Amino acid sequence: VKNNTLTILVIDDEPQIRRLVGNAVRSAAVLPPSDTEPSRGETVVRVVEAATGKEGIDLAAGEGPALIILDLGLPDMEGLDVCREIRAWCAAPIIVLSARHLDTEKAALLDAGADDYITKPFSTVEFMARVRTQLRRARSAPRSAAVISFGNFVVDQQRRRIERDGEPIRLTPTEWGLLRAFITHPRQTLTHRQIFQAVWGNAAGDAQQYLRVYVGHLRRKIESDPMRPRFIHTEPGVGYRFEPEGETT
Amino acid sequence: MVRAASTTNLRRAGRNAIVTRWVTWLVVLAAATLLMFLVRGMLDKAHVTLVFLLVVLGASAAGGRALGLTVAALAFLCFDFFFLLPYYTLTISNPLDWLVLFAFLITSAVAAQLLHRANATAEAATQRAQEVDRLAALGAETLNAADADDALRAIADVIRTSVGVDECDIYHRLPDGRAAPIARASAGEGTIALELSDIRGGRGSREDRIAQPGSLVDWIVERGTSAVELEDGTVRVARDLPVSTDASRHEPQTDIGTALAMVTRHDNTSASARVRDALGLSEELPTRHLHPAICALALPLQVRDHTVGVLRIAKRGGLELAPEQVRLLGALSYYAALGVERARLVAAAERAEAERRLEKLRSALLTAVSHDLRTPLTTIKGIASEIVRGGEPQRAVVIETEADRLDALVGDLLDLSRIQAGAVLPALSLNTIDDLIGAALRRAAGALGDRRVDIDAPAGELLAGHFDFTQTLRILVNLLDNASKYSPSGSPVEVHVRKQEDRLRIDVMDRGPGVPVSERERIFEPFYRPPDVPPDIRGTGLGLSIARGLAEAQGGSLQFSPRAGGGSVFTLELRGMDASAPDSPKVQGVEPI
Repeated sequence: VKNNTLTILVIDDEPQIRRLVGNAVRSAAVLPPSDTEPSRGETVVRVVEAATGKEGIDLAAGEGPALIILDLGLPDMEGLDVCREIRAWCAAPIIVLSARHLDTEKAALLDAGADDYITKPFSTVEFMARVRTQLRRARSAPRSAAVISFGNFVVDQQRRRIERDGEPIRLTPTEWGLLRAFITHPRQTLTHRQIFQAVWGNAAGDAQQYLRVYVGHLRRKIESDPMRPRFIHTEPGVGYRFEPEGETT
Repeated sequence: MVRAASTTNLRRAGRNAIVTRWVTWLVVLAAATLLMFLVRGMLDKAHVTLVFLLVVLGASAAGGRALGLTVAALAFLCFDFFFLLPYYTLTISNPLDWLVLFAFLITSAVAAQLLHRANATAEAATQRAQEVDRLAALGAETLNAADADDALRAIADVIRTSVGVDECDIYHRLPDGRAAPIARASAGEGTIALELSDIRGGRGSREDRIAQPGSLVDWIVERGTSAVELEDGTVRVARDLPVSTDASRHEPQTDIGTALAMVTRHDNTSASARVRDALGLSEELPTRHLHPAICALALPLQVRDHTVGVLRIAKRGGLELAPEQVRLLGALSYYAALGVERARLVAAAERAEAERRLEKLRSALLTAVSHDLRTPLTTIKGIASEIVRGGEPQRAVVIETEADRLDALVGDLLDLSRIQAGAVLPALSLNTIDDLIGAALRRAAGALGDRRVDIDAPAGELLAGHFDFTQTLRILVNLLDNASKYSPSGSPVEVHVRKQEDRLRIDVMDRGPGVPVSERERIFEPFYRPPDVPPDIRGTGLGLSIARGLAEAQGGSLQFSPRAGGGSVFTLELRGMDASAPDSPKVQGVEPI
């Protein structure tokens, strides 16, 4: 049995929160990250703590963490800048903790390279679920297969066909672009801007304001109840998240 | 004397009246001469003298000194020509007749002169009386008008009509030192505005240039000097204006006096010559048609040596004031200054009153908040110390729920204070109802539990609206939360979505107890809770007031109505929008099939 060491970096100036987050992360990370993944044997979780943004950036470079938990209210630096700086050279998922509830701020964080955010006060259960999702996502290989299936759908990316239970569905080029952006970034919150970039590149235009309408049309072709979607979820004020397993909450 | 009327039309009308008067009295003289000529044999010299004297007096009274003297001279000639021997010559045979003739002439001249003086005095007295009347009326209006702004508008109007200009604007000084228009009276449409290219003092003071056009009033408020605007788009400020000797003799040597002197018409100098003089520009601009006329005058309004505003009057085709109009303008501008000052004081008082009300609300909120915050805190503290002393650890669940309640309350309080401070800036954008309802159902999932929510929306149509997504989501979650809270268990909450012309209407309906008529507006007040609410239903009491505040901040509305068959309907109205997206721009790497 081989031991895996999983380093998790917690950047927060409050010792109480560091302790709480450290404990939660430890218990979340030792659980098998995914059912599909073969057991890797005993996982040893090592939590590294930083109290300032500068220290956090140094540790992110030195320790090679598998996951970074970043509190926005740091004494020395803007959380957004810390996030951006780490993301410039580090691929580890970043979960942001924030006491502010503004959606524009969440979108800005995701655009700056954060993978998820959670607002204070949060429940430990929810936090652990987010940590597991990020660890699982980081470990699973990117979905580059030509044929991807989700729910009762099969998507052939090469031939640009989508079938529900074997019946083909007609999509417009825009809806195709959207679907492709979603299925290549499963379980990940994509901001409106990120989706726009993925679908239209840098082409500026009216499309951004109609993005929600295009998603609405795509949803009506895929979801059986567009107001209770299984696959394409709305992240209020931020963007959309695609759940290939068809999460229903 | 003929008083100069202030407009061209009036002047023309006046001229016509004068001509008529002259013709009338000349005809009267001719008629009197003819009548007396017909009965010449029966008349004595004294009769003729008296009749002519009557005509001269009449003409003097009606037409002034010039007409009186002219008629007297003509009567003199007629007397000599027709009534003194030898007839039809100007020679006189009887030397005593000379005495009669010259006595007549002197009497006529003296009478004409006396009448003229009496008339002039009477007219001046009438004018004064009119001025006093105007000032009295203005004073009464200023003090009477309920609204300080109305008073200023009245003052502007009185100034415009009594000084005889096309436009009168009053500006007040803002706390930051800039000037803003507060009242305006205008004769026609549009503004007599200059493309202000150059604001400068008189001769050579180029350092006073103001780069930005239109900032003249700001400049005047700042410096407290007056200025005139010329037709060519330049401005002269009074501080550096060299005043002609003629004007400075009559007017006080103040800035305002200097500016007024420039627009004052004196009998002995033509306006253009005097302006040339005043500006010291005669050598540069020798002819009148090259010289730009003054078209507007701006005076600082001062109360106790403190500039509170600006008065600007303007007139198409050149501003020119008679000395008595200048005097009137001086008095009226003082009323304007008092009016501006009054408006400022009223605004300050209103602000103080608003602050007092806000303070009252704030203290009421504080009382409620401290109660609502302390209750869960007390529970948390109590249970925590129980556990520390070896109590049942399972009781910590209560700590968790109470902490959630506190979190909800703090969130609501933050939102409410943001709404009440007007700090909620809705980010309006195109959003779909699918997104909105989907997200609301997800977010309210905890509060809804296993309660069914029936959604009734037009099938097959993607509804969209122009609203702030997260704020509207908050409203809808609050409504769902409320509906679920007051519904009997097992009865579903219904959501109806409709498009009505350019509005989106979302009804959230429950089968709860409803709201009594007397409480229907109170439910939207902060910290309102229904009178006999069961103790297990405890909200923050802020949900509906936040919901309504958010709805109104983005131009929507939130209303309550009773539901047929029992229960409540909360109706949220938003701006609808056409959901048909235009053809999408080319998607990367995807060719149309």
